[in-house]
Amino acid sequence: MNGIRQIWRVARYEWFDAMRSRRALVVLLLYMAAAVCTMHWSINLLHRMEKELASMLQLPQSEQAGVVSTALWKSKQFQRIMKNVTQNDMVLHDLTGKHPVELIYAWFAFFYTPMLVVLVAGNRIAEDIGSGAVRYVIFRTSRVCWSAGKFVGQVIMIGLSLLLSGIGAYAVAKYRLAGSGTPDLLLNILQWSLRAWVYSIPYLGLAMGLSHLTRSASKATIMGIIAITFCFVISIMIRHFTAETGWRAYLPYMGVLIPDDHKMLLWRDAAAPLVTGFTYLVTLGFCYLLTGYAFFRKRDV
Amino acid sequence: MFHAIETKDLVKRYGSRRALDGLTLSVPRFALMGLVGANGAGKTTWMMSVAGFLHITSGSVNLLNEGPFNPAAHCGRVTILPQDSELPLESRPQELLTHYGLLQGLTRQAAADSAAAMLKEVHLGDRIASPIRALSHGMRKRVMIAQCFIGHPEVVLLDEPLSGLDPREVAHMRAFITRRRGQQTILISSHNLHDIEVMCDHIAFIEKGRTARVATLEEVIGKDSTLVYRVAGEPADYAALSAAAPDANLSFDPEASALVCRYDPRRCTAEDINRSLLPALLAQSDVSTVTRGGDLESAYLKNITDSQS
Repeated sequence: MNGIRQIWRVARYEWFDAMRSRRALVVLLLYMAAAVCTMHWSINLLHRMEKELASMLQLPQSEQAGVVSTALWKSKQFQRIMKNVTQNDMVLHDLTGKHPVELIYAWFAFFYTPMLVVLVAGNRIAEDIGSGAVRYVIFRTSRVCWSAGKFVGQVIMIGLSLLLSGIGAYAVAKYRLAGSGTPDLLLNILQWSLRAWVYSIPYLGLAMGLSHLTRSASKATIMGIIAITFCFVISIMIRHFTAETGWRAYLPYMGVLIPDDHKMLLWRDAAAPLVTGFTYLVTLGFCYLLTGYAFFRKRDV
Repeated sequence: MFHAIETKDLVKRYGSRRALDGLTLSVPRFALMGLVGANGAGKTTWMMSVAGFLHITSGSVNLLNEGPFNPAAHCGRVTILPQDSELPLESRPQELLTHYGLLQGLTRQAAADSAAAMLKEVHLGDRIASPIRALSHGMRKRVMIAQCFIGHPEVVLLDEPLSGLDPREVAHMRAFITRRRGQQTILISSHNLHDIEVMCDHIAFIEKGRTARVATLEEVIGKDSTLVYRVAGEPADYAALSAAAPDANLSFDPEASALVCRYDPRRCTAEDINRSLLPALLAQSDVSTVTRGGDLESAYLKNITDSQS
């Protein structure tokens, strides 16, 4: 119980400290700006697609995007795009009929979150080890509480940035898309923020786990970028190079160890895949973190 | 005797180099002990090993009779001012020290009160809300010192606490640390032997990763066995001086222009020596002052010379 209290104290201070750090604030604002811009450009694209679709279906054209989003879902062209993006029939089934704004935001959040995590949190532990700031804490609490507290603090931080980006994206949609100002859409977007937040946890574990291995903040960031690139490469290899025989037959097993392989579970609507995905990803995050911690536990600071 | 810290045969190896080479040192409870030694002698390594920052290669540490450092047992009871360690730059002193107090197990109110009191004590009462980044080197050092005394810990390890402080603050911090005598066990590592001499009651000389000597300050500087006569020039007739004080061992320190007289306190007293030696000495040279005991610097340098020979 005392350990949990100590973790929470470290986490809370980490969160306050990260918020005060101008760099973290700039990255958060950039992320929010990126969400707003992505939404803005995507709505422009959507509007163009709708105009084309409306002229094809001989519907009246609107000055605002989103008027024919139901019709959009019926278009073969749009369905083909979605099928290519999801590459999963069950996911496509769950997504069918969802408001395009939700999907745009979800795509944005899932795509950029790993990068956000590395930029915001990838060097927090290495920075403290390098500057010696860790020495003022680890005689007041255990190393494991410190590591876990830093991790939890960053989890809260990423959650906040995703929440802000969701609100920003909703605000753009509300003013740019007809009939988008509903509370339902806001709730749905925030739900995607939550899913993206869970998706960020293993990347956070990976970046912060690696951060235990070095005293240099820049090295930790570079290691984090290399690690997530490696995860994406493995994910692409699994998708495109898996074979039934030879070494390539083992590729799908590697998928268990990378976050991307569990991402599709988060796109589903049913509770079972969602819970499974949440569990896998959170466990994976803690496993990555603990692997880095195992090194830190034995190291001199 | 209850020892606050006991280390036995402590070895810390970095590759083939031994930073600690079997260092054995016991620190009595409530002692104010100064660690003195050359650069690289092992003082910082020893402190870091005691605080659990470094994993020792072999040997044992017993802290407050509860084994090696363990946050569960020693949290809030042992604190350290580590050398070359930055505080988080964006933090504010009051918030940071309150946070440290909370981690030590104090209540929010007690932590905030203790933080405010300590910051006031180190003359930073008006900078409690300034970011660490905005504080000067000396001010940061004072915050570092203040964090050591949050919650009144039993053992405080201070590595070079006064370096970087201005003379007024040095004097203030010396007085502050000296006032804690008898309430806390405090270890101070410093190259400024005058500071150590003023503050400490126990001295440990550390050389090449080992303890060269541990004694009370009085024993080290020979307060009960040495008289130092500051003279205008070296006396010409040592035979006359030796005849006047046959129980004394006389030597001349040309750097300090002082006649150092060592005697066995079991055989005679300082008054006996003075009564017999001073007239003979005045016959040969002017004497400006007479002090009991040498200084720590001379004792340290003599210790090095003795160990080398």
